[in-house]
Amino acid sequence: MNPRERTGLFLAAPTVLYMAFFFVLPAFLLFVYSFYRSKAYVPIPDFVFDNYARALTSKGFWLVVWLSVKVGLSTGAISVAASFPVAWYIVYRTRGNALLYLILASWITSYLVRIYGWRMILGSNGFVNTTLVQLGIIDQPLDFLLYNPVAVVIALVHIYLPLTLLMLISSLRDVRPEYLEAARDLGAGSTTTLLKVIVPMINRGLTGAFMFTTVLAAGDYVAPQVLGGTNSVTAGLLISNQFRATGNWPFGAALAFVNFAVFVAVYFAFTNLLRLAGLAPNRRIH
Amino acid sequence: MSGRTGWTHEEIKAVADGDLTRFASLSRRRVLQGGLAAAGVMAMPIIPGPAKAAVGGDLITLTWEGFDAIDSTKEWATANGVTITNSSMATQDDVQAKLIGSNPVRLDVTSYNQAYNKFYADELQIINALDPAKLPNYNEAGIFDAFYKKDRWFWDNTLWGLPFCWGLVALVYNPKMMAKPTSYKDLLAPELKGKIAFVDDNTGTWPGLAKVAGVNSYPNVTKEELTTIFENAKLYREQTLSFAPSNGDVVSLFVAGEIAACFCIGTNITVDTARQGVVTEYVVPEEGAFMWSDALCIPKSSGNIDTAYAFINEVMGPGPQAAIAQRNICGSPSRKAAEVMDDATRALFDYANLDGILKQTPLLGIPPRESADIATYDEWVQAYENLKVGI
Repeated sequence: MNPRERTGLFLAAPTVLYMAFFFVLPAFLLFVYSFYRSKAYVPIPDFVFDNYARALTSKGFWLVVWLSVKVGLSTGAISVAASFPVAWYIVYRTRGNALLYLILASWITSYLVRIYGWRMILGSNGFVNTTLVQLGIIDQPLDFLLYNPVAVVIALVHIYLPLTLLMLISSLRDVRPEYLEAARDLGAGSTTTLLKVIVPMINRGLTGAFMFTTVLAAGDYVAPQVLGGTNSVTAGLLISNQFRATGNWPFGAALAFVNFAVFVAVYFAFTNLLRLAGLAPNRRIH
Repeated sequence: MSGRTGWTHEEIKAVADGDLTRFASLSRRRVLQGGLAAAGVMAMPIIPGPAKAAVGGDLITLTWEGFDAIDSTKEWATANGVTITNSSMATQDDVQAKLIGSNPVRLDVTSYNQAYNKFYADELQIINALDPAKLPNYNEAGIFDAFYKKDRWFWDNTLWGLPFCWGLVALVYNPKMMAKPTSYKDLLAPELKGKIAFVDDNTGTWPGLAKVAGVNSYPNVTKEELTTIFENAKLYREQTLSFAPSNGDVVSLFVAGEIAACFCIGTNITVDTARQGVVTEYVVPEEGAFMWSDALCIPKSSGNIDTAYAFINEVMGPGPQAAIAQRNICGSPSRKAAEVMDDATRALFDYANLDGILKQTPLLGIPPRESADIATYDEWVQAYENLKVGI
């Protein structure tokens, strides 16, 4: 190992050790737990697949996982799509960061405040309905604005868009304007430049922004409970109930790892989709 | 000194004070006879004396919002140098979630819903047995018979919790949005679709679901009855806007005008909605209601047990008891509190007929953890989750 590698290892060691002790090891222990049996808050060491069998055959669990995946994918897609033009503008069209700071300012407020804020905006007597009624556009409040998955996605996009914006800005800054000029000089139009030059060059940042947002949104269970109405049960809530209400930690652990496997599958599906579409070359661009 | 076999009091004290000149004239026997006594007196400052309770310091409590008793015990806390740090629970299950496992969270005082009595004390073993001698405000003369050492709080000759409040779980509605209901079935009216809420609280909802299905054996329902209960519950799910995560969220829904009724909730939330300008009322439907009662207890993770005892005793005093009842529109188990509370709070319940109240709206337990014939707690949780998911 040369001195530079040793220095890098030394600098990375504290974080790696921290993650090893406080994430990898507990995750491993949780995995071991998933094979235990349980009796009223008492995990019993064993090696059985009953928990996984129960999770995989639970119709309710798959329904909530599907709801969680839909919410996650919708939030990820809309966040990335909405933040890409803004990231483009900040990187290539402006010199200052005022717009960036304006968007990031929403992070200063508490998460719960923002969630309840959306309830006040979209509710039957909220800002939108009150305005529409007062303008005479509608006679009765629109009930469908709130207490459904769409309201959940709207709120989660509001929360996670700044995150995707930051990640896309970071990726776009690696795409030098000279590459874009070269593409134009070679006759590429805007769409071709986007699909053949920009996206392949930022595909890792794009994947990171999309997956990060998707997983966080899919695992959220506060926004669905407050804004989702009867479509409020998500995988996160089901899993937490096993630890809180029933004390069945082994089953909760099994649910968590099945959920994890689902998101790993979503990740590979997404990256393979990008590669099949020619948007993710399997090589390092820069 | 010579000619005598024992030391005098003055001699022992002198040696303890450091005056060793008297040794010069003593025989070896006399030195040995008195030496131990002198040594004992000299050592007195470093020998621990009889234990005495030390009240003071930090007290960490976990209670329902509004039941923290911080305001009503402020003088006591100030006088004793006690700093109370309180957090609110969203459901009773928050308590055991913090206390189980090998590394429980430190809690000095918390409360349990009476249905969780043996679950906490005998099964999970997360609370301490209480010494009645340290709780003089909990006495037979001062506490209503219905709440004094009854089996929800006292069994096998051991006291585990002190009931400090009680109230009704019933149907709460907004009279401006719907007519006064007489039955839970009134919530199935077409105009109320999307206008009712459930609070996502197991023990606060399951008895009501059983009642509306015509099953009166809760918590000991059979597995077939459980199926019947939740098939019937689907009718109410069709009318439901939300399974609110907490009482506070239900209040928020009432205040925002989103719901006309909540299926089953503590009637004390009518106070909270009124504070925000929305009048709600409660009604005991023909199917009946049920009572809740919470008891203060000391978890095994407590780090300040003496102060915990003193705090609980103070909360059981008439002043704090009356304050809790007034703030939360609930009942008090204290006779003396009933005498000092204001007329409006006293009029809430017929304190002269508590046994009758309990007969009409009983305290109910929770389903068993294990059983071959009776639907278990886990089965209830699974069925309830399926209801919420919509299957």
